[in-house]
Amino acid sequence: MGKFVIIGERIHCISPVIKQAMADMNPEPIIQRAKEQIEAGATYIDVNIGPAEKNGPELMKWAVQTIQEACDNVPLALDTANRAAIEAGISVYNRSKGKPIVNSADAGDRIENVDLAAANDAIIIALCSKAGVPSDNDERMMYCQELLERGMEHGMEAEDMWFDPLFLVIKGMQDKQMDVLEFIGLLSDMGLNSTGGLSNVSNGTPKIIRPILDSTMVAMAMCKGLTSAIVNPCDRRLIETIKSADIIKNNFLYADSFLDI
Amino acid sequence: MAFKRTPQVFSASINEVTLGTGEKAVTIGGGNTMPLYSFDAPPKHKVAIGVEITDTGVDKTLPGMAAYYEGAETLTDIAKRAAEMPGADFVVLALDGADPNGDNRPVDECIAIAKEVADAIDVPLAITGSKNVEKDTELFSKLAEALQGRNVLFVSAREENYKTIAASAVMAYGNKISAESAVDINLAKQLNVLLTQMGIQPTSFVMNVGSAAAGYGYDYVASTLDRVRDAALTQNDAMLQMPIITPVASEAWNVKESIVSEEDFPEWGSRESRGVSMEICTAASVIAGGSDAVILRHPESVKTISGMIAGLM
Repeated sequence: MGKFVIIGERIHCISPVIKQAMADMNPEPIIQRAKEQIEAGATYIDVNIGPAEKNGPELMKWAVQTIQEACDNVPLALDTANRAAIEAGISVYNRSKGKPIVNSADAGDRIENVDLAAANDAIIIALCSKAGVPSDNDERMMYCQELLERGMEHGMEAEDMWFDPLFLVIKGMQDKQMDVLEFIGLLSDMGLNSTGGLSNVSNGTPKIIRPILDSTMVAMAMCKGLTSAIVNPCDRRLIETIKSADIIKNNFLYADSFLDI
Repeated sequence: MAFKRTPQVFSASINEVTLGTGEKAVTIGGGNTMPLYSFDAPPKHKVAIGVEITDTGVDKTLPGMAAYYEGAETLTDIAKRAAEMPGADFVVLALDGADPNGDNRPVDECIAIAKEVADAIDVPLAITGSKNVEKDTELFSKLAEALQGRNVLFVSAREENYKTIAASAVMAYGNKISAESAVDINLAKQLNVLLTQMGIQPTSFVMNVGSAAAGYGYDYVASTLDRVRDAALTQNDAMLQMPIITPVASEAWNVKESIVSEEDFPEWGSRESRGVSMEICTAASVIAGGSDAVILRHPESVKTISGMIAGLM
């Protein structure tokens, strides 16, 4: 097994700084945030430009080129509901450090994003949901199968489909947490890759609590076979936990300085 | 259904490190397949062979060695002869006499000897020290200065002295070092991390992950080599992608089979052929395990191993 893939989530148009930078096409704040995340341990950088209905393709192209040129062609996850923007981003994407990730498809309205990823030799994040939160793991598995079939039909390799079990918020869905973990185990048993927005579990909890819950969740999920997560790499406790779990899983060879590399 | 062969070529690869200068410079590493899997991809560089000579002279009690070096009286002659040995890619000067528990040759004398050897040959030079941490720290630092610009490989820097040796040999005088760990993969990686954190470029050092003569704990060496190559290629572990050099001669010629005389053990036969066998077995094994360069002593071993490399790579 390879190392856990950390996808950095901090280039997101919800952030006022990033939103402004995207509006002005000002590279500095975006490059800085990409570099911070790489330095902290991110492998992929997620680029969320929001719906970007007006200038999506232009904005995504600019973002992809800006970040990759400044950061040694770091691989990116292209995150927007605007499909034309994703295609535009891929058209200028440098693959030398890894395929682009399309973020994301589901088994509902967004299933065509699987086709898009297949057509562009990209990785797809496939949410095991259709409309809203799946009620149980049978439902999750049904969507997983639908997405997997769709990918196969379009000639995708299964390893390029990273299934998202949908992490659920603890405050409100505490009784569902073990279901999510068990579903990760099912994906792992099938030999499938998995990822997801991990920090959702700690949504709404005090700031001081979030890293603790996120770290514990990632360790438990990695034990079940989670292969990637979309996280804040600048959360030191979380990154230390991921690196330690990679050591314990024998994904990465131990050396005394393993936390520094 | 027809058999479809899928080459196992990794996107990760071993770093390339160049020793020496000019036309006879040797580059090792670069591999992106399992060791000797040349059917998966043509090897970028062949395994290199270093021929070891020592400051204490040729062991003339071995008839084959005596014959090969016949007439070579000075260190210059010996060095030239070693460089000309068929199959040799570089020369290794073993400063055995520097050992404080032995002849304790002073550093200044060692420098004169190293310069004499370096001036005698046009192939790359590697230097092994006294194996004494304090002595080697001083020795390598001063030798690095004296041999500036020759791109010499110093074997080796260890956990106890890597800082000083790396700072002088590599950073100040542009030579190369090998990072030595005693058959401990975690320490091997750690040492590479520490050297990298000092600012030593990955093209400026190799690893010596330790060795043992066949039959003397070699199984640990085998598993270490396997795991290093596996982590380097399958996990793309940049901290283990340094090429590996293995000093075979000093191990193979220091075990009972290579030392006890034929008079004492007549049933064992010729001492020289025993030593050569130990050297060949050990070298073949470390090459199969992923070593990118080996240090050998006997012309017969060099001939056999270079033939094996030519046949398999």
